[in-house]
Amino acid sequence: MTEVKAELVGSVWKITSKPGDEVAEDDVLMILESMKMEISVTAPRAGKVREIRVKETDVVKEGQVLVVLE
Amino acid sequence: MSEDYSAKISELKSRREQNLGMGGKEKIAKQHERGKLTVRERIDLLFDKDTFVEFGLLASQQAVRGGEPDTDGTPADGVVTGHGEVEGREVWVIAYDFTVMAGSMGAVGEQFKAARVRELALRYRRPIVWLLDSAGARIQEAAGSTFAGTGYLFYDQVVMSGVIPQVAAMLGPCSAGTAYIPGLADFVPMVKETSSMSLGGARLVKAATGEDVTDHDMGGSQVHCYESGVGDNEVEDDRGCIAMVRRFLSYLPSSNTDEPPFRATDDSGDRDVDGLEKIVPTNPRAAYDVKRVIKAVFDRDSWFEIKPAWAKNIVVGFARAGGHAVGVVANQPMQKGGILDSDSADKAARFIRMCDAFNVPLVYLMDVPGFIVGSQVEKEGIIRHGAKMLYATSEATVPKVTVIMRKAYGAGYYVMCGKGYQPDLIVAWPLAEISVMGPEGAVNIIFNKQIEASANPKETRGQLIETIRSQINPYLAAGWAMIDDVIDPAETRRVIIRGIEQARNKKVERPWRKHGNIPV
Repeated sequence: MTEVKAELVGSVWKITSKPGDEVAEDDVLMILESMKMEISVTAPRAGKVREIRVKETDVVKEGQVLVVLE
Repeated sequence: MSEDYSAKISELKSRREQNLGMGGKEKIAKQHERGKLTVRERIDLLFDKDTFVEFGLLASQQAVRGGEPDTDGTPADGVVTGHGEVEGREVWVIAYDFTVMAGSMGAVGEQFKAARVRELALRYRRPIVWLLDSAGARIQEAAGSTFAGTGYLFYDQVVMSGVIPQVAAMLGPCSAGTAYIPGLADFVPMVKETSSMSLGGARLVKAATGEDVTDHDMGGSQVHCYESGVGDNEVEDDRGCIAMVRRFLSYLPSSNTDEPPFRATDDSGDRDVDGLEKIVPTNPRAAYDVKRVIKAVFDRDSWFEIKPAWAKNIVVGFARAGGHAVGVVANQPMQKGGILDSDSADKAARFIRMCDAFNVPLVYLMDVPGFIVGSQVEKEGIIRHGAKMLYATSEATVPKVTVIMRKAYGAGYYVMCGKGYQPDLIVAWPLAEISVMGPEGAVNIIFNKQIEASANPKETRGQLIETIRSQINPYLAAGWAMIDDVIDPAETRRVIIRGIEQARNKKVERPWRKHGNIPV
């Protein structure tokens, strides 16, 4: 199990994956918006998306778990 | 030759051979088993062929401070010292020999041999390279209060800082106080798996705090090149590490009174830079890899990145522009959107100061949404860290060229060498957005009352955002002559080269002071 965390504070702009998806390393899981930039959250390794812990427009903190891969 | 005389010569030869043999066949085999080269193999790789001149080959451990010398002999006292040439220029070396008492730093090796190299390198204004593979202080000689007479090496390193380049190549362990050698050096490549550095080695840590950890887990390249930022570049093996040391030195002068070496190139200084429109999106929110821009703009194959795996939201390293060595500072939109934070400001400040100390011109490639804000970063002291970069950019008196590619927001614009920071040339691409903040943020501050009073606040806000947005374009800054020009991105290469060449005779007079007080 791998937790994918927010690397900085921001809001969830677009979620581009869903539970059950098979993803490869570096695939984009969601896009955060912070400081006028779109910041891609990518899979640190290949795996299956087990859980998405946020929804679009949510404000997230640095280090908050966004996605759980299995 | 008399028999007497030849006996004397053969004694000399055998003493030399003995010490060239390092710690003996067994220890050498063990060194190789660990995936490491011997100290003499490393020195052969470091210097141009047959240029190494050794000092202190015949040294060995002496009976000092009540200790008995090692009965097996301690060739060169565990440290090989001298000078040789790197691409035809003199460089001095202090190289620890792990096959002799684990490369531990003994009284002879430290107080006489290494000290002599530091003294002579400084006297002749030549770079020093440490090849580190050492268990640290030789406790047999150092335990006890004669410790009071040690520590000169770091003092010397500080005196040499900014005068001659200092490289600490990590090729094995480097623990205890000796970890300050890399701590003070200008460049610290680390070999994966075999090298480590920590203020206290594993055994000391266990005794002092009870923590059970290996030297590698505590201070390997996976820690220092990725998390702490103490190491610069991780390399696969000794060979790669030493090749990287040679490459690093190729961008720097021998001392702060020289210019960096010029390297002629067949890559035309006048050529258009093709393909930038395919790399940099016009949508200012979209990310891209700024290293592709760097590789396209500077001399072919000249890019040498430093600290590539730490604080990746800023990219720093050396390159050449029309043959001139330059230091590149570039925001990296692909990492954290290119936003500046504490670590990235530290990384840039340290690099900028190194370039300034050694007369390497700076090129800033700007695309910065600003500094990260919020309660989390205030706790880590973002103001103090950001101020280092502000300080370093202001302090730098080498030629400075600024290219505003896209975003130039807030204090990000300042630290990336905005107009106020005395760039010798500052230009913008047509995509440039220069402003204290983005329209979405500004509108809430400037027109707060107007939006609240509106019958349709959302629509009013939208209109006002557009009003502000229309004020954010490079022609406004160029119209005020606050920037020197707006350029076609394809012109970037020749504009940078002209900027560097234009400023070659730069002299900046500052008020006398002992030294400034950089926030640390």
